[in-house]
Parts: sequence; structure tokens; C-alpha cells
Amino acid sequence: MHRFVAARLLQAVAIVFLVGTLTFLLLQLAPGDPLSSTSSSLLVPRTVVEQQRRAFGLDRPILEQYVRYLGNLARGDFGYSYREHRPAWHAIRDRLPNTLLLAAAALVVTFGLGIGLGVAQGLRAGSRVDDVLSLVSLTVYSTPVFWLGIVLLLLFGETLRWLPVSGATDPVVYDQLSLLAQAWDRIRHLTLPAVTLGAIGAAATARFQRAAMLDVIRQDFIRTARAKGLAERTVVLRHALRNALLPVITLFGLAFPLLLGGTVLVETVFAWPGMGKLTVDAIHGRDYFVVTGAAVLAAVMVVLGNLLADILYRVLDPRTREAA
Amino acid sequence: MPRICAALIAGVLATACVAERIAPCPDDWCGTAVIATPAEADVLFPPSTQGDIGRSIIDLVFTRLADLGPDLNTVDPTSFEPRLASSWTREDSLTIVFSLNPSARWHDGAPVTAEDVAFTYEVYRDSLVGSPARPRVLQIAGVDVRDPHTVAFRFPRAYLEQLFDAVYHMWILPKHLLGAVPRGELVSHPFGRNPIGAGPYRFVRWRAGESVELVADSAYFLARPGLRRVIWRSTGGDMSAAITQLFSGSVDVLTYLPPEAVQRTETSDEIRAIAYQPSTFYSYLLFNFRDPADPTRPHPLFADRALRRALAVAVDRAAAVRAVDGADGIVADGPVSPAMWIYGAEYERLPYDAARGRRELTQLGWRDSDGDGVLDRYGRRLSFSIIVPETSAQRRRFAQIIQEQFKSLGVEMRITELDFNTFLQRAETGRFDVFYGSYGGDPSPASISEVWTRDAIGGFNFGSYVNPDVDHAVRTALDARDIETARGRWTDAVSLINGDAPAIWISCTVPKAGVHRRFENVSIRGDNLTATLPLWRVPTARRLPRDRYDN
Repeated sequence: MHRFVAARLLQAVAIVFLVGTLTFLLLQLAPGDPLSSTSSSLLVPRTVVEQQRRAFGLDRPILEQYVRYLGNLARGDFGYSYREHRPAWHAIRDRLPNTLLLAAAALVVTFGLGIGLGVAQGLRAGSRVDDVLSLVSLTVYSTPVFWLGIVLLLLFGETLRWLPVSGATDPVVYDQLSLLAQAWDRIRHLTLPAVTLGAIGAAATARFQRAAMLDVIRQDFIRTARAKGLAERTVVLRHALRNALLPVITLFGLAFPLLLGGTVLVETVFAWPGMGKLTVDAIHGRDYFVVTGAAVLAAVMVVLGNLLADILYRVLDPRTREAA
Repeated sequence: MPRICAALIAGVLATACVAERIAPCPDDWCGTAVIATPAEADVLFPPSTQGDIGRSIIDLVFTRLADLGPDLNTVDPTSFEPRLASSWTREDSLTIVFSLNPSARWHDGAPVTAEDVAFTYEVYRDSLVGSPARPRVLQIAGVDVRDPHTVAFRFPRAYLEQLFDAVYHMWILPKHLLGAVPRGELVSHPFGRNPIGAGPYRFVRWRAGESVELVADSAYFLARPGLRRVIWRSTGGDMSAAITQLFSGSVDVLTYLPPEAVQRTETSDEIRAIAYQPSTFYSYLLFNFRDPADPTRPHPLFADRALRRALAVAVDRAAAVRAVDGADGIVADGPVSPAMWIYGAEYERLPYDAARGRRELTQLGWRDSDGDGVLDRYGRRLSFSIIVPETSAQRRRFAQIIQEQFKSLGVEMRITELDFNTFLQRAETGRFDVFYGSYGGDPSPASISEVWTRDAIGGFNFGSYVNPDVDHAVRTALDARDIETARGRWTDAVSLINGDAPAIWISCTVPKAGVHRRFENVSIRGDNLTATLPLWRVPTARRLPRDRYDN
């Protein structure tokens, strides 16, 4: 197991390095630079702009800039945010918790709701409930996340006015609330973005889980468990579900990059102050180090998510350990 | 058991809802304005702040020596309003002396002094700081401290807008907090995200990517602001989501309303549209005078003045403006916005006359010899491309309408939509035939020199338009010492520019903001959303729950 984890970690380092390198180079090749990406920057005399370019080292060859960036990164320095005029890490650090919170909540929706629906469908395969849930999950799965977000926003935000539609907190009252009330405020703000981000994944998970349950529920050991007189609840949760979870764990690893990609759109619709929105703004502003830092962090999260899925797989399925 | 759990959870949540430590706003000066913004400010250090959002915040936290009046007149001394300076006198044609208001205080309690003013001037003119306002501030020769509350601005030459240049471009900075910071590090100093000013509102907090909160300085030396709190809330950049937030009551102000949302306000009980008045914008189709393939050569089409004029008179700009900006749209008639005091002067204009345009094209030898619907001459088709930023729906619509008008003349204009960075880079490097530009924010006609003169090449003069007569006319206008002389010279300069048709002027867009109807005394000055915000009030009877919160 240790060797397996060590090998995967080495792979992860290589992947992160590659992602960082590609992002850095692609950004440098894109038109514009951080000091001339706004119309007001044109009012700054060219001599001043050139002076600033020299000060930031933007006039140096790309390779030299890249080597210097790697050296800084090795010392934990993510570079400078030209747009926010502060260390790039500070810009990332302020948004990272929000994105992790949103991704975690969306994961709960994706797998909590998806597994629950899949199990319910698997146990009632062919029934009217199964048909309706299949239709609903297929419809949701086919829906663009951006459009789903707008619909939920219009329905629950504008028409019903049940839930807040933007931000992570209510800036009007948040700092005057008790800790418990602050948590409640965060949950209310988190609900629509998390449901939007998680719903499509939940639909996919439900379909996988339904198929896996159908496979498992017909196995001999389930028949044996029932013959032993175990309660149906025990049969389903302890015997059937545990075995039917293996394919879904594979989905867990795949869900991470999809979630991180989805946060860009969801954060835009719901004005969620996270990494996705920061990255898009940084790309538009050619804020090189923020974009590269965000890409490196996203790569770290994705490879760690996949590693976690692999480890879970080996823990839950003894056959994979034996094969290794 | 499940029922007990459910009841417990419900109890906890109910407690959470009421367990607020809210201090109600105690007096008549209550009210909260939540302003939706598509993006957030870059930095709140006035010399380096770029963009409207940051400027609208610093305009409340910091203050100038004096400010423009509601008409944005930059030359009439009586239209300026005192801020940090309680009065000013012209000592001679090269010196203006300001007397500071002795009651003015920084938000940390320190008095505002003449030393702060002199320090501010040094910071703005320092190339290490790289302020966009630096070229204007360099018009000032020096700032002398006469005593703690008196400061003199010296100018190297006499001209009409000395007072404007002395007060408008600089928000005064606290020397006691920033004086020891190396100039090159000022922009990245933590002050830029936690500023202390002397304006009507104090900075409270900045939640990255989410909101910026200000609270009224109840001891503000001029007049107590009408609203207790102002909060800028980032809406994430998606316009439809931002509009939903406005009409759902999540926010009170949306800084820009697209035309369809303006229509929606007409039937809304809660939201109304308020125009930025007077508009500081004009948009134009700029011809490139240099060949995009080889900038050392003239453009194969647009170096020809007669062709440019023929195309300019052939565009029905009034119809285009009606279609895009609505009935209250304003047709641009030169490089002049309604905010400029020379707007409406008797300068030469090229009137719309499609028949004349067609006739002139024929006289120039442009005919459809091959029957493909596009005019041609000596084997070259009258065909070119226009670059438009994909972020501007308005400019895209204008380009489409003008494309159709040109098509009926036999002129092919291809529209190339570009992301803003690419658009700007193509403009800066002259890689375009026609560029759909927009200029705004500056109410002074001096801005004409920043776009339409030889000195502006490398800046906003993307088309490399050069006419020595225009350069001379602009220089003499800038040096004029009285309003009537200046008006005459600016009229000459604009007439010369219009006669050359370096661009087709399209629209003086009047942007509109969406504002909740409970606010009274609402107006929006053309150059800045928040210039008049300290005067806004919420009558007691119309207060919403969020108006009653103290900070």
C-alpha cells in the first residue's frame, strides 16, 4: 500500500508540474500582458509602462521568467498579482476556502442524493417510481449547469424569494450575527450553488448506482442473506450497497475535475467568491501568477481526489489489494 | 426518534435565525445602499486605482480639494464645490492658493494639513507610482506649503483649466500614514486594501471577491452623509444574474442597466432607472490611416480623405442610435461628449446624406464592375473589417446596423469580434482597418488632445491620425485664457477633425443605473456613480429591514 501511494504521489508531482508549465507558457503566448489589459492603462505613459515591465521582469525572455517562477514557487512564493496589487497567494488564499466549501457541498449532493436515488431505483426497478426518477435524472443530466443555475436562481431567488441568490454571506447583516446564525446564513447562501453544481453529478451517480444495485441485488450472497432471515434494511445497506458502491467510487475520482470546472460557471451565476471566478477574472486581466497558481492548486486537488478514490477502492475491494 | 431529531434541528435553526446581535441604527441617519458591481475594485489606493468601481469607492473614502458641480463644467470657477479646501484664490495667472478647511480630519483622527496635499502631488507625479493621472498632474509645476492650512499650486503657463487640473485628478492622501513608504511599494502596500481617507465614508472591510463595506463618517466636516452604510457587492459578472438580484431585492443599485432592463423598470414598483448626467461618453468607428500589414505605408483605403468623408455621410447614425439606445439616445457629432462645456458649439458637422455618399463614391471611381454587390476600383473591392470587443453588446449591435447600411451602398464591412485583450492589443499595434472605439470619463475638452493629435500616437490615437492644423488648433485652445477664446479655438479644432473624418462618430451613450425607489434625492453625475451619493436618503417610512442595521 505504501509503495502504491508513493508511486501515485510521484505521478501527481509530475502532473502538477506539467499543468503549471503549460499554463504559464500558454498565458505568455496569449495577446496582451498584465500592464496593458485595461483601457485606463493606456493613459499611463508608455515610458512608465516599460519601466514597470522591467521592474516586474516582464521584459525578460519567457524561459528566464519561467525558471525564476519555478525558483520562487519552490520557496512557496506564488508571484505577484498585478490586478490586485498584492502577493498572488493572498488573492488565492482568500478564495480557496469558499471553493473548497462549495465543492464539498456539491460532492455531498452528488453522492448523497445520487446514491440514495440510485438505491431507491435499483430496489424498485421497473416500477413507476423508477421510471419517473429515471426520466428526471436523465433530464437533469442533459441540462447545462449554467442554465440550471439561472433557472434555480429565477425560481427560488426572484419568484419565491426563499433563498439568497448571490455571494457566500449576506454582507448587510453577517458580521452582526451570532456564530450559529452566521452558519445558517452560510448554509442558505450555499444551497443554490451547491445544488446546481451537485445536481447534474447526482443524476449521473444515480444512474450508475441503479445499474450497480441491479447487478448486486441478483447475486447469490444477497439471496443467502435474505434466507438467513436478516432484516431487509440490513441486507440492502450492509450487503448490497457496500458491494454496489465500487463503481461509484470510480466516479468520485472523476467528479473532482468536473466539479472544479463547474465551479467557474456556478460561481459566475451566483457570484460565489471562489477560485473559479478569480481565475476567469485573472485570465481576462492577464494576471499571470494568479492563473498559474490557481491551475497548480486545481491540479493538486484533482490528483489528490483521484488518489483518494484509488485508496478507497483498494480499502473497499480486497480483490484489488490481492491483485497488487 | 426521527421526529424528536427533526424538532431539535428545527429548534436550533429557529434559534439561529433570531440569535442576532444586531445593533439597530439609532437615529435619523439610517439607510443602507447595496450596490451591485460586475467585478470588484483592483486596489483602493487612489493614484493607482483603475476602473469605475474602484473610483466610485475611493470617491467616498477620500476627498479632493474641490469637486466639479453637477454640470461637470471644467472652466467656470463658480461651478466648483469646496471639499478639503474651503476656499481658493488666484494669486496671479500662474498660482492658485487653497485654504484648507481646519475641521477636516482623517478617519484616524489626525488633521488634514497642507503637508498632505504637497505629499499627494509628489506621489501622483512620481513615475515609480505610475498613476494614470500623471500626465495631467504634470501640468502643475509645484505645490508649496505656505502654512499648515494653506497650500499654493504653481503652473508653468497660464491656461483656463488650471483649477480643474489642480483639484480633479488627485484625491488627497495621508502623509502621516504613507510618507515613510518607498514610492515603488505604495501600490502594493496593505493601505490599498484597508484605506484611511478623509471622505464622507469610512472604510470598514473588504471581503475578497464578495463585498466592500463603508460606513458614514458621522463627524464628516462638510455634512453628514444621508445613508449610514454603503456596500458594494460583486455580482459575478453575469448580467442576467445581476438583473435578477436587483429585481429580487438582493441589491439596491445596479451600476449599469442594459436597454431591456431599463424597459422593465417602467413597470416595476421597486426599481427605477437613473441616467448618468451629463454623459461623458462618445463612441466612434475609427479609420486606420496606416496599412495594418505594413504600418510604414498609408492604408490602401482610409488614407483617402474623400473616401472617409463619403462613408461618413452615408451612415444614418440617427436611425442606428434610435435602434440601439432608444428614443432618448444622443447622436455624436464629433469627438465631444455632452459633459464637455464645448458640447453643442457651432463646429462643422458632416450631415447624413446617403445619396451624396453614393455619388461621391462613384466620383471617386468606386463601381460594382463585376456585379458581386460590392464596389471596386482598379481591381480592389471596397471591403474591410471592423474589430469590436465581444464584451460590448451595444457596440456589436451598432456594428451590425452600420454593416447593413454600408451593404446597401455596396460597401462590405466584416465584423470581427475579439476578446478585450486581443481587441486592445490589435488597436495598440495598429492591426485593424476600422476600430469600434469608445471614449469617456473625462469631462474636459483637453481629452481631445489625448486621442486626436500627433502626440497621442502610442496612446489613444490608434488610427495614427495626423493633421498639423488640428495639432496647432488644439494647442492654442489648451493655452486660451478666457472661455470665449477657448470656445472659438476648440470649435476650430473640432471642425478640422470633423472635416477630415478620421472616424464616424456614432453615439453619446447615456448609461443608466437601476436604483431602488425608496431612496430619495437621487441623481448620478456623469463621471461617477457615487459623486452625489452622500446626498441620498431613505425616508423613515420607506425603510427596509436592512436600512435599520447599524454596522
